[in-house]
Formats: sequence, structure tokens, C-alpha cells
Amino acid sequence: MISLAGRDILQAWGKFVFTGVGLGLLIGVTLSMAGIYRGMIDDAKVLLDNSSADLWVVQKDTLGPYAEPSSIYQDTWRGIRGMPGVARTANVTYLTMQVRQGERDVRAMIAGITAGEPGTPGWPPYLVAGRQITRSHYEAVADIASGFELGDRLQIRRNHYTVVGLTRRMVSSGGDPMIFIPLKDAQEAQFLKDNDAILQSRRRTEANPAFNKPGSPDLLGAVIDSQTTNTYVNAVLVQIEDGYSHDDVAESIRRWKRLTVYTRAQMEEILVGKLIATSAKQIGMFLVILSMVSAAIVAFIIYTLTLGKIREIAVLKLIGTRNRTIAGMILQQAIALGVIGFVVGKIVATLFMAPIFPKYVLLEPLDSIFGFIAVVLICVLSSVIAIYAALKVDPAEAIG
Amino acid sequence: MKHLPIQGRTLALLVVIVPLLALFVYVGLRSGPLAPVAITVMTVESRAITPALFGIGTVEARYTYKIGPTFAGRVKNLEVHVGDQVTAGQVLGEMDPVDLDDRLRSQQAAFRGAQAALREAQTRQTYAQTQVGRYKRLFAAGSTSDETLNTKQQELAIAAASLSAAHENLARIRSDQEALVTQQKNLQLIAPHDGVVASRDTEPGTTVVAGQAVLELIDPESVWVNVRFDQISAAGLAKDLPARIVLRSRSGQTLSGGVLRVELKADAVTEEMLAKVIFDELPQPLPPLGELAEVTVDLPALPFAPTISNAAIRRDGNSVGVWQIVDEELRLTPVTLGVTDLDGSVQVRNGIKEGDQIVLYSEQALTSRSRIEVVERIPGVSK
Amino acid sequence: MSEKGIRIEGLSKRYGKGDTAVDALKHVDMHVAPGEVVGLIGPSGSGKSTLLKCLGAVISPTAGRMTLGDQVIFDDGWEVKDLRALRRDKIGYVFQAPYLIPFLDVTDNVALLPMLRGVPNGEARAKALELLTALDVQHRARAMPSKLSGGEQQRVAIARGLVNQPPVILADEPTAALDSPRAMAVIKILNEMARKFQTAIIVVTHDEKIIPTFKRIYHIRDGVTHEETGEGRGFE
Repeated sequence: MISLAGRDILQAWGKFVFTGVGLGLLIGVTLSMAGIYRGMIDDAKVLLDNSSADLWVVQKDTLGPYAEPSSIYQDTWRGIRGMPGVARTANVTYLTMQVRQGERDVRAMIAGITAGEPGTPGWPPYLVAGRQITRSHYEAVADIASGFELGDRLQIRRNHYTVVGLTRRMVSSGGDPMIFIPLKDAQEAQFLKDNDAILQSRRRTEANPAFNKPGSPDLLGAVIDSQTTNTYVNAVLVQIEDGYSHDDVAESIRRWKRLTVYTRAQMEEILVGKLIATSAKQIGMFLVILSMVSAAIVAFIIYTLTLGKIREIAVLKLIGTRNRTIAGMILQQAIALGVIGFVVGKIVATLFMAPIFPKYVLLEPLDSIFGFIAVVLICVLSSVIAIYAALKVDPAEAIG
Repeated sequence: MKHLPIQGRTLALLVVIVPLLALFVYVGLRSGPLAPVAITVMTVESRAITPALFGIGTVEARYTYKIGPTFAGRVKNLEVHVGDQVTAGQVLGEMDPVDLDDRLRSQQAAFRGAQAALREAQTRQTYAQTQVGRYKRLFAAGSTSDETLNTKQQELAIAAASLSAAHENLARIRSDQEALVTQQKNLQLIAPHDGVVASRDTEPGTTVVAGQAVLELIDPESVWVNVRFDQISAAGLAKDLPARIVLRSRSGQTLSGGVLRVELKADAVTEEMLAKVIFDELPQPLPPLGELAEVTVDLPALPFAPTISNAAIRRDGNSVGVWQIVDEELRLTPVTLGVTDLDGSVQVRNGIKEGDQIVLYSEQALTSRSRIEVVERIPGVSK
Repeated sequence: MSEKGIRIEGLSKRYGKGDTAVDALKHVDMHVAPGEVVGLIGPSGSGKSTLLKCLGAVISPTAGRMTLGDQVIFDDGWEVKDLRALRRDKIGYVFQAPYLIPFLDVTDNVALLPMLRGVPNGEARAKALELLTALDVQHRARAMPSKLSGGEQQRVAIARGLVNQPPVILADEPTAALDSPRAMAVIKILNEMARKFQTAIIVVTHDEKIIPTFKRIYHIRDGVTHEETGEGRGFE
């Protein structure tokens, strides 16, 4: 027995493959949507992984430092460092802002990392070029997603930084590339405004008679100084010694009533559950809609293909072809269409969508397998309508 | 045996399908989690590194003289402007005496009054003395009573005491007068030392309180840079080390200098150590006070030792180490690190030796199970 | 007459029920012997299509009896179990339009029928080629149907009808779209094949060109048939 489906496809293969490619583009978009969703979750995970921290200590009752602003005093770490089970602590600041380089500017998350050596929490755990920061000021390590290169001079607030190292996949939970600068510079960037604002604030302080007493000439200077120093950081990152339970150490730190502590699992829940939740829902909806659209389109295509063959199907029935064989022909065509669509879709998603999309697109093999099964199932279900139409055909139609 | 039409058709189809499938397989294996991680390797070399310390400082003057009046008053005039060179003892300005002259005159009049009172007391005492002498002779002659003699003696004592009081009063008024004269001298603002006028804080006509600075004088020879170094990376900071100074406004120029002293008091809040660095040769024109400068202090060079780039250092749990490729597998070798220089080279005390190959850059975080692929440059990094 | 061939007795077909019932066929008698080619002539609405559908085992009659060779197909309400298999094995069809499967080549169009019966592909194709040769279209064996002329297509259709060597072939207006010489060629072939394979062939037609060639003709009007002797002319 020859394959009727195969012969039919072979005879008009150009049209069939073309249709498959069109369907493939749709499937590619759907796969990319799933990839974008996974990418968003991965962004959050990667942010947590890259900080090399086991615990995050933040301002009391905030969801910081990523989901909410959090400010704690910069010497809070001293109290934490001495607690049992704490191996290392590090201050860290995060601020999302525009970074200028020459004519262009880029939105980035500036991470202020405490002075120390590679391996300190908050430091980029691996580089793709250059070196880690060695000087206490004016050096930066940037992620390649920002478009900066080694040697570039960046302007962050009032200072210029030289890019000495590059990283990959160091991004904020929103997908913005990260730029690592020394903590003190970051504290200044976070707090200190531009020169205009500083002058205004100085003028206001001078005009205030409470601060500008003629009998105390140094008072004004001291007040202005105190206004322009920043003694806050956004969080303290904690690494825990081997053998200690993260939850236990977190609990003992929490008893310092003015601080909130999150373990890795809790941070993930915050980022994924709260920060990304809305975007995730949006993408989830898109995924569902696209799948339904794909199903409808496949159903439509197969139905049209079948209707175009209705005369032949009547003849086949007349000359004695089993219903089974005719249904099989339609089903095989639907599945063939699905397979071509999936192959094209996967290629399009990986080679075209993933590199150009502004956010990270993560295409996991498991997703591809599920996607393939889903495509085949959709094709099978969509062909049901066409099969129903084909089986209803009266062979008598072939005769007059 | 196939005829041409079918042959051609199948061929055309294969030309489309086969590359498509090949692309599909390629995409499946080379991207996503199945793809190998690109890494670059470096060979450990033996080098002598020159560690250095880096800090930011501000240009300050070692000696700043704030010149002002010792009493509240009005500024009468100022002779100098910012930037003028002055010598020690030079009169820089003058305070308005206001009522000082009047008070001095009043004090002089009081002095003269006290002098007159003294003379009066003197006269009285002389007279009382004479009286006592007379009455003593009269008493000896029996012409007067004992009582009268006592009275006259008492009068003498009183007159003597008054005379003392008049002396002291005169002395007091003289001191008061001298005090006002000294104050009058203080009306002038005198330069205590050679130097350059750094600021003129008030203008003539302004009322100032005692102790308020009217002029600030600095000694330009004593300009230094007050540098802050992060405590955690300031090992080895000591007196007399050579330093390179780059002023913010002259970023192309590197000036040489040296560490004058390391401050005994560090900054506990910002966790920085402070040091004073002086210029070997004062830059001309003088850098303004308060200008920022980047200071690099060179530490003595270290002997040869295996050196790696700090980009290769990874942390795993409690130990720092580097990834090595041993028998086609990745392994994290713990290392003990030594000193690092400002270019990111770190000496290794033990763990690896010269000639070992270690992983320098990687596309992703590595685990011992990662599939790797050694490349020249990580994709995405341009030349 | 003989045991083989096709025979119907008292065949009736009623559509609908009660007052709106329509009797498309009323007690039709017909028989065709193996090797015979008979004509079936009737205007539209005469029940011609219904009769053809019954003969073709596409629909079941309401009453009457139909025998195909030794096998009883319909008998007053009873019908044989697998009509589809019957159609596949025992009845061949030739239509006005060839109705070839456009995505199968000529050989496979013909070979499809034996393949449906389970005959191995190679054997089926060999058989198909035999018939194509007999009908003088073997030189078009690998071509796609759209590339053939009308007459060639019709011959392929005839080959398809014959390939299973069915006892009966129903030809519905096989020459309507053809010109005189071709029409005569077709009817000539039909007669030759009938003789060769001892097939009973019923040709439904109103083509004036070929009616004279029939030896026997059935006329049908208002669901009733009557037999007539034809001219039996030769094929020129």
C-alpha cells in the first residue's frame, strides 16, 4: 500500500512546505514566548546566583533590595559578622539608572561592591574579559549586554569610570545589564545629586539662620558636610559557614529587631512571585492565546486542504477505500505539517528571535519536547474537523 | 527504475528538507543548556609584581592660619586680596576701633584722676605725720592729753592706709589703660607667617565676632594631599614610600611625591586609613585647595612567584581557587593567594605552580560537570 | 440466463415516508450477461442515477433483489454486510470525468485498487501496467494525470475500472465529453475489454454517437424500465 498522504504532499510539496514555514513562524513566536518567560525567571535566578549570597539582610519590613528600596546603616555588617555561622559579609548597593558613554546612554543597574578580593559576596563570580576591580575608585566591570567594551569611559553621576572587566548574564531582575563599581562611589552616586542640586541645597542651608550662626563659624560647614555624606547601603550580603542551617542563622539575625533577613528561597519567591508575577501572567496569557491561534490555523489549513480534495475522497470511497485509510491520510498530513512547523519554529526561535530580542530568551530542551508534543496534539485535534467532513462525504457524490 | 519527473521532484524536496533538518539538529545541540560552555585558558607565569595602593585624596595646606580679631568689632579695611604673597609681620588689615579711642581717653582721664587722688592721699599722710610729731613733743611736755595723741596717731594710720589704696588704684587704672592700649594694637591683623592669602571671608564694614576668621593664610610650601585608602587593601602603607599623584584637573600629568606620614587616627566610619602625601616638586600653578587627586603609592617589588590574573579566581564555598582542566575534566583547585597589584595580577603562594593551565574567562558559572570548549575569545566580546 | 453477470428483479427505491414519499424506482428488472455491453438511457429525473447507485452498491434499494454473479447483494431489505468491500472487489466504475487521483501517477492510480485489496505493490503495479498496455496508454505510465489528454485519461479510468477484474462495470456517460472518433474508440475498447475479461458492462448514456452500437438497451422513465433491442452497429 502506498502512502496517500505522502503522495499528496509530494505532488504539491512547495505549497505544503510553504504553509509549514508559515505555521512555523507562528510556532516560533510561541516558543519564543515560552523562552521569554523562562528568561525572565532565569534573570531573577541569575541575579541571586551572581551575588554569591546565602542571606540578604535588608531594612526592616521591606522586600528589598531588589523589589523595594531598602536602606541600612553601613556598619550594620559588623554586628552580623560576629554571629555564629556567618562566614563572610559584604555591603552592597543597587541603583538602576542611565549610564552615559560618549554620545549614548544605557539603562543599567549599578551595583556597589565592597572593597576586598574576588570571591567576596556581590563581586561578579566570573568574567568574560579583562579583570576584576583593584582600585578603590573609578573602575567598573560592565556586562556585555550594556554594549560597553574594555577601556570605555563611563559617566555615572559626576564621576568617570574606566571599564576594566566584562561579564555575561549579570543582569537585574528586569533584564537591565549590571555595572559593578566600588561601593563608596556607588554610595555617592546613589545619594549625591548633580552639581546644580548640591549648590541649591547649600544655598538653602546657608539661608537657614539655625545653621548659619555668626557665633559658630564652623557650624555651617559641618552641616553641609553631613548633608553630602552617605552612610547607608541597600543590603548586607551574608555567606554562611558549612554545616550551619541557613534558616537558623537567618532567624538569629532577625532577632535584631531592626532588620529583615531573607534566605535564597525567600528571595526567589519575592522576585519570581512578586516582581515578575505581572509580567509572567501577561506572557502566560500570550502563550495561551498563541497556542489557540496556532490550533485554529492548523485546523483551518487542514480543513481547507481536505475540502480541496473532497472530490478525490468521494472517488476513493467509491472505489472501496476504507474510512480508516482516508482518516489516516488526513491525520498524517496534519502531523507532517506540524512537524515541519515545529522544525522551522525551533530554528526561527533559536537563530532569529533569541539573539535579537531585547530580553533574555531561554529555550530549554524540555520546553522544546513539550512544545513538540503540544504541536502534534494540536494537529491531531485540529484534523478531527477535517476528518469528520471527509467521513461524512457520500460516495454517491462521485456518481452524478 | 524511476523516470525524471519524480526524481527531480524528490531531489528538490531533499534539497530543502535535509538542510532544514541539519539546521534543526545543530540548533538543538549547540544552543541552550546542551551547548558546551566556552572558556579561555591562561598559563601560570612566574613574575615579579609591583604591588601598589590606590587612594583618592584632596589637596590641603598643612598650615592654615585663620586671622581674625580677638573681640567683636567691625572690619575697617583689608590690605590684601586672595592670592597675594605676604611676609611674617605684615599688616593685612585693620579692625574699626569704634569706641576704643573714647574708652582709652576715659581711661587716661581716670589715670590722671587717680594720680591726683594719690597726691591728695600723700599730702594727708604727710600732714598726719607732722601732727603726730608735734603732739608727741607736746605730750612729752605735758601740754596735751594721752587721748589727743592717740587720735593723732590713728589719723596717721588712716592716712597711710589711704595712701596705699591710692597707689593700688593708680596701678589698677594703669593696667586697664595698658590693656586698652594692647587691644588698640590688636586692631591690626598681622600675618603670623609667610604665606599666600587663600581666602578673604569678610569685607570691610562687616561686623564680626571674636574668633571669626576674616582672612585665611596658607603656606604654599606646605601643600600636601590628604589621601584615604580602604583599610582592607592598604597593607604595607608606610612612611617614605614613593607615590604618583594625578590631579583631577590635570589628568594627563603624573606628578611624583612620597608618603610623608600615615595618620595614627583612621576613619572608623568609612573604614579608611588616612595618609599625607607630599609633592616632590610643587606643581606650578599651585593646585587649588580641595581639588581631588588620585594617588598611587608604589610598594617595593616582590620576588618572582607564580602569578595569575584576578579574573581567574573563583570561590567555592569556603575556599577560593581556580578551575583547572585535569584529564579532560574540570576541577576547582584551592589556592592561597598572596599580594595583588593594581593591574589585577595576583601572586599565588600555593595550590598551583608555574606552567599550569587554568581557566581564565568563562561564559557561565562552571561546575565540575560542565561541558567545556576552549576558545580564543568568549563570543560576544569584541576585539 | 446465465449464473454470472448482474441481475436485478423487482428493484424498488422509495425516498421519504408517508405522503411525501417518492418512488424513484418501481419494480425494475434488468440483467446483463458477462461479456455484454448494454446501454441505459433515460432523461434526468427518470431514476437513472438512483438505479446506477443501486447497481453500484452505493445505496440500498427498498425492495427487490440484486445478484452479482453467485452472490446475492440485496434481497427485499436484506443487504450484504460490507458494501465497501463489494465495491472494491466486484464493481468497476468509469465516469464521465475520469476522476483520477491527481496526486498519484497513472500506474498508481490503476494499481491503487489491487493495493486496497492487499495485493503487494509490485504485483499491483505489474497488473496495472498490463491493462495500460492493453489500452495503449503504457507510454504514459509514469505521468501525472494532469499531463494526459482527455482521451488518455478516460482510458486510464477504464483501466482502473478493469484492474480488479470485477464481474460488472458501471460506466456513467463515459463519452459525453469526447468527440466522435474518441467516443467510438472508448466504446470500442469497452466492448473489447468486456469480451476479453468476460465483464458485464452497463453504459449509462444519451450520446447519439454511440447508442447505435448497443445490441441491447434499457430505457428508463419515471422509475420504470423496459428493454429494447439496439442496432448493434460496428465502431467507426
